[in-house]
Amino acid sequence: MSTDKEIEVKFRIFRFNPKTDFAPRWQEYNVKVDKSTTVLDALLKIKEEQDPTLTIRYSCRQAVCGSCGMMINDKQMLACFTRVLELNSNIIKVAPLKNYRIVKDLVTDFSELFQKERQVKPYIIRHDFEELLNPTGTYKQTEEELLGYIQFADCIECGMCNSACPVSATDPLYLGPMILNRAYRFISDPRDLGFEQRIEAIDSEHGCWRCHFAASCSTVCPKGVDPAKAIQLLRRQLVKKAVLGISSPKKVELIPMAHVKGKLELPKGWQ
Amino acid sequence: MKESKRMFIHYISGLIILITGFIHLIANNLPSIGTIVHESIFYPVNLIILLSALLYHMLNGVRVILIEVIPGKCAAKAITWIMFLVGIALYIYGLQVFLNLFWPVE
Ligand code: SF4
Ligand code: SF4
Ligand code: FES
Repeated sequence: MSTDKEIEVKFRIFRFNPKTDFAPRWQEYNVKVDKSTTVLDALLKIKEEQDPTLTIRYSCRQAVCGSCGMMINDKQMLACFTRVLELNSNIIKVAPLKNYRIVKDLVTDFSELFQKERQVKPYIIRHDFEELLNPTGTYKQTEEELLGYIQFADCIECGMCNSACPVSATDPLYLGPMILNRAYRFISDPRDLGFEQRIEAIDSEHGCWRCHFAASCSTVCPKGVDPAKAIQLLRRQLVKKAVLGISSPKKVELIPMAHVKGKLELPKGWQ
Repeated sequence: MKESKRMFIHYISGLIILITGFIHLIANNLPSIGTIVHESIFYPVNLIILLSALLYHMLNGVRVILIEVIPGKCAAKAITWIMFLVGIALYIYGLQVFLNLFWPVE
């Protein structure tokens, strides 16, 4: 179906405003697209030319911000990263992501997800506060250490993996692949010392042990993160440390850096 | 108990079921080795280990399913306790059956 010419495609879009509508409905629009038109471009075209009430969330338009995840022909996809003609379909069905509360039309509410994410402390935890406040150098990482977590650090928090996860669909307290992947990303970082502080969340009744390892999450991830693998590695760490008591303390070397010696100079107006 | 410990025992009990179940099958179906196993202390001991592993594995499996479909932190705690108590009751019953069978009181 690849062509340089514009062709008309039918869009069936899920419409629902929980504040005013009794039930959701499907609305159809015809849009002219060419081979470069993304689903997001088409939705914006509909909004500009046919129906300004259509509600969409987006920001970067280049698969970086993770705002535009939606169900496109029943699969979790980023609207800005999906070309209409590549879907090889005359009717494009667009709906909000499953497993989330709907704010309006194609916009889902991630606030609960980000609230839950706080439980796993998604940041590097260190105890050398003096160094953190007055940095004198940079922490050394080997290539292998970097390769151990870099794939999991590519997550853009689009929440599509949670939407595809069958456990997240039935257990609202399950942390889900996105958050568990975040936890593993930091736990496997050689600079991080916060494993103990994350155990309560990840080793709970609704933590990483609830995963069925069907890997639906990994198949929909637009960044190739593989959260299902992160969850399995997280389990391995838990068995090693929390069950068998085998701990290999992390040692990270500090390389003195001339340009950060002494107190960090903050730009004017930031003090 | 941490969830990791519960699940670790779950996997180990799965392995134990495989091994003791296999021994139980052999003892009952291969007359050559079966008779020797049947007449030794090993047979009832194997059965008791199989019962313990089976009960743990089964009830923990049910617990996991229930936790997944019944939301709520309190619900999870209640389900764990109920399964624990059901497990204890079934274990005492099963043990009593085996003791009567293998070491009947005259
Ligand atoms: S692998 Fe685990 S986290 Fe991923 S979709 Fe399946 S159950 Fe959910
Ligand atoms: S792991 Fe992939 S699908 Fe899940 S939130 Fe991150 S980028 Fe999105
Ligand atoms: S608009 Fe940012 S990921 Fe699609």
